[in-house]
Amino acid sequence: MEQFNWWVIVPVFAALIALRWRRTSMLTWFAAWWIGMFLVVRYGFTVPVPMSVVKLYMGLVTAALVAYVLTDAGRIREVTEPLAAFMTERRYLPYLAAVALFIPAAVAFGIYRDMTRVPQPPSFARTIHPATPAEPIDVHGTSYDLGTADNPYRELEETDPAAFKARVENGRKIYYENCFYCHGDVMAGDGMFAHALNPIPTNFQDPGTIAMLREAFLFWRIAKGGPGLPAEGGPWASAMPAWENFLSEDEMWNVILFLYEFTGHRPRAVELH
Amino acid sequence: MRRPDLLREAAAGSGCAPWRLVRRLAVPSLLLLLPSVAGAQDLERGKAVYDKYCSQCHGETGDGKGIAASRLRPEPRDFTAGKYKVRMTPTGQLPTDQDIRNAIRKGLGFPYTAMPPFDRGLIDDAELDDLVAYLKSFSSAFADPDAQRQPIDIPAPPPYTPAGAEAGREVYERTGCAACHGNVGRGDGFSAPTLRDDWGQPIRVADLTKPWTFRGGGRREDIFRTMSTGFAGTPMPGFHGALPPEDIWAITDYMLSLSGGPQEGDTVEAPYANVVRAVVVDQPIDLAAADELFAAAPPALFPLLGQIVEPGRDFYPSVVEVAVQAIYNQDEIAFRVSWHDMRAETTGHNAPDLPVPSWEEQLAETGGAAADEESGGDEDDFWGVGTEESGEEESADDFWGVEESGGAGDDFWGTGDEGGATTPDKEFSDAVAIQFPQAMPQGVVKPYFIFGDAQNPVDLWFADLGKVARDPAAAEITEADLWTGRGSAAMTPNDAGDVPEVVARYQEGEWSVVFKRKRRSRGGLSFNPSTFVPIAFSVWDGFNRERGNKRALSAWFDLYLEPFERPNPLPAMAKAFGGVLGLEILLIAFVRWRRRRTAPASADAARPATAYESS
Repeated sequence: MEQFNWWVIVPVFAALIALRWRRTSMLTWFAAWWIGMFLVVRYGFTVPVPMSVVKLYMGLVTAALVAYVLTDAGRIREVTEPLAAFMTERRYLPYLAAVALFIPAAVAFGIYRDMTRVPQPPSFARTIHPATPAEPIDVHGTSYDLGTADNPYRELEETDPAAFKARVENGRKIYYENCFYCHGDVMAGDGMFAHALNPIPTNFQDPGTIAMLREAFLFWRIAKGGPGLPAEGGPWASAMPAWENFLSEDEMWNVILFLYEFTGHRPRAVELH
Repeated sequence: MRRPDLLREAAAGSGCAPWRLVRRLAVPSLLLLLPSVAGAQDLERGKAVYDKYCSQCHGETGDGKGIAASRLRPEPRDFTAGKYKVRMTPTGQLPTDQDIRNAIRKGLGFPYTAMPPFDRGLIDDAELDDLVAYLKSFSSAFADPDAQRQPIDIPAPPPYTPAGAEAGREVYERTGCAACHGNVGRGDGFSAPTLRDDWGQPIRVADLTKPWTFRGGGRREDIFRTMSTGFAGTPMPGFHGALPPEDIWAITDYMLSLSGGPQEGDTVEAPYANVVRAVVVDQPIDLAAADELFAAAPPALFPLLGQIVEPGRDFYPSVVEVAVQAIYNQDEIAFRVSWHDMRAETTGHNAPDLPVPSWEEQLAETGGAAADEESGGDEDDFWGVGTEESGEEESADDFWGVEESGGAGDDFWGTGDEGGATTPDKEFSDAVAIQFPQAMPQGVVKPYFIFGDAQNPVDLWFADLGKVARDPAAAEITEADLWTGRGSAAMTPNDAGDVPEVVARYQEGEWSVVFKRKRRSRGGLSFNPSTFVPIAFSVWDGFNRERGNKRALSAWFDLYLEPFERPNPLPAMAKAFGGVLGLEILLIAFVRWRRRRTAPASADAARPATAYESS
């Protein structure tokens, strides 16, 4: 529920409901709903909503409101009558002139802004967790089928806690010798080199990362690194090393144990087909 | 507050009623008499926090020799000495508990030093107190109840003025700051390469032009504190009592003026960019007089990281950012890349394909982590002169570069050359490269950011400053080297491409290297107006023995060439305004015409309100 900005949403809907009990003109009602929906879409979420998405939703809202009005001749008249009056009656003339000048001025301003806007570099929407390769991968001469592979030391957690602890400790050593420069002291993806990277390193504390992934996925990403990503992952920009160049398979499995141990997350289980 | 609760719990846990009564009475008095006994519980919990978050760098026994220590410079602090770098207490005094808490909560200048901030989500306030107690237990110095820990006062700062900052320059010079920090604060003072900390480790001087990198913070109050109390264990002295506060404020403001004055807010943000904008110049680009042309080009500051992705890793690169400017005209395009370096290494050579031993091999060659055996130097020796002598005996220890070269004349500490007037011969010179895709990317695919890949090669405009700037004052215009990269293991000189011209200058601790090339190229990349071109950078510091893949590098950023002609928005704006207004007039005219036709009698009388209220 944190993603909603209740300070916007609640007053907007309260106002719209209150409007239901007041006999207002169809035009006022139309305008109130349009503005209310705009406020909700634009400011009702704690994450900033891109303007293109706002425009899309407002297009839908407009279409729905227009459709509602058009279904009934009375409603149509309720909307068009005051508009026509605004455009014809003498007492509205100053307001009409102001509106008639304001609209083209706003359009011209929009053009000015578009033409003087500093262009932004093209962005690339990479897939953060791409699908694992269907073909088995080869690491130090061993072939791993990522669909079925699992951490060979995971079971020690139950069968031999002391040996498990030793492996976690070994993983800790590997992490703080190699990984924390980018992934950070507490695995929040904010290591001392992270600010110089784009894309930024993965935050393992985030419940959307290793908690949703299988250990074999991590093994693949660790062993093959950025260069082993499929094209949709943007292999040219990822600074994740292919750790098979530095670490043994054991070391990689051990560091995976440590990632889960330190963050308290559990790996997603292997699905048996 | 928590302590009595704990003890009560402990007493309650004993289960025996008479004992409980006795304890209830006895424990508070014990608490007063023997705080160390009562603190035992806290130390246990402090240890748990320490083991989880601190020991990987600072070592399980607090000696600063944790897992990561050999790959960090400066090495993590050794707590057994009781020397805490950032303090409110004057030189020679232990830190207050609040000082230690601050160091943990705020970090010490992350990410430019490895000590990160730990917020309440990780270590809550109670745990923090336990942790501070545990940290203090590493050093016997804290056991002395009479040890003075009296924080200094930071007087209210005078308003920052450019005139005050300018006056601070005089105090800066008079106080001798330039000896280490350089004439204009770029960390290139004559003694900078010789400095060591109390543990005999080489230590880099702060670059005063970059307050976002400052240890202990870069706000005015932070700098005042650093200037007043110094950094314990390092050559940075404290001037509390030696300089009047107004002088310390003056130096502080002079320092901040080097980066354009103090920033608002609680933190100092690094002004990093992700695009460098090439501006049009309407005259030929003459490298001998390029400064004037570049004056109009906005500099973009790009962060660098150590190349730790591939073998030949560089865990502590010297250069952490480069400033880049670009200009172009119909025929040519030019880039100026500048960065701060405490020494110009213009002897020796460098190239992107030089082999680098693996980190493990580098360590094996020196027989383990550098300076493991080095004991603490003379603690009172702020200027590192005494420790430097012990360093001479151990000159085999190559701290910054780790591996041993074995060659004579490879004296990179400049030992015996305190004056630093001449730079001793080095094996590797400084160098810089700009990297572009060899062909403009079609779609989103770019070459691998580390020297390209087999399918998508890169071109490097490479300047070996040992070659092009052997005499850095001469500013001679020569040819750069053009390399093609299909991955760092497949670097080849590119003999077919258009070779850029280059001129390099080293002045007051700053390298400034200008490349120029034809704007359009038949074989290679052409630079077209209104387009974004991927661009990346590498910098090699010969002092740090960087060469080949061991270097500081950047991610891909973008170069944008501003259009030759800025389109004038006025005609388009006038057209749109007129068009929309015309449509409106037509619409209004139409509505009026219809109304007059349908209800000619009641046009003005009909109230719109009645029209729908009655419906």
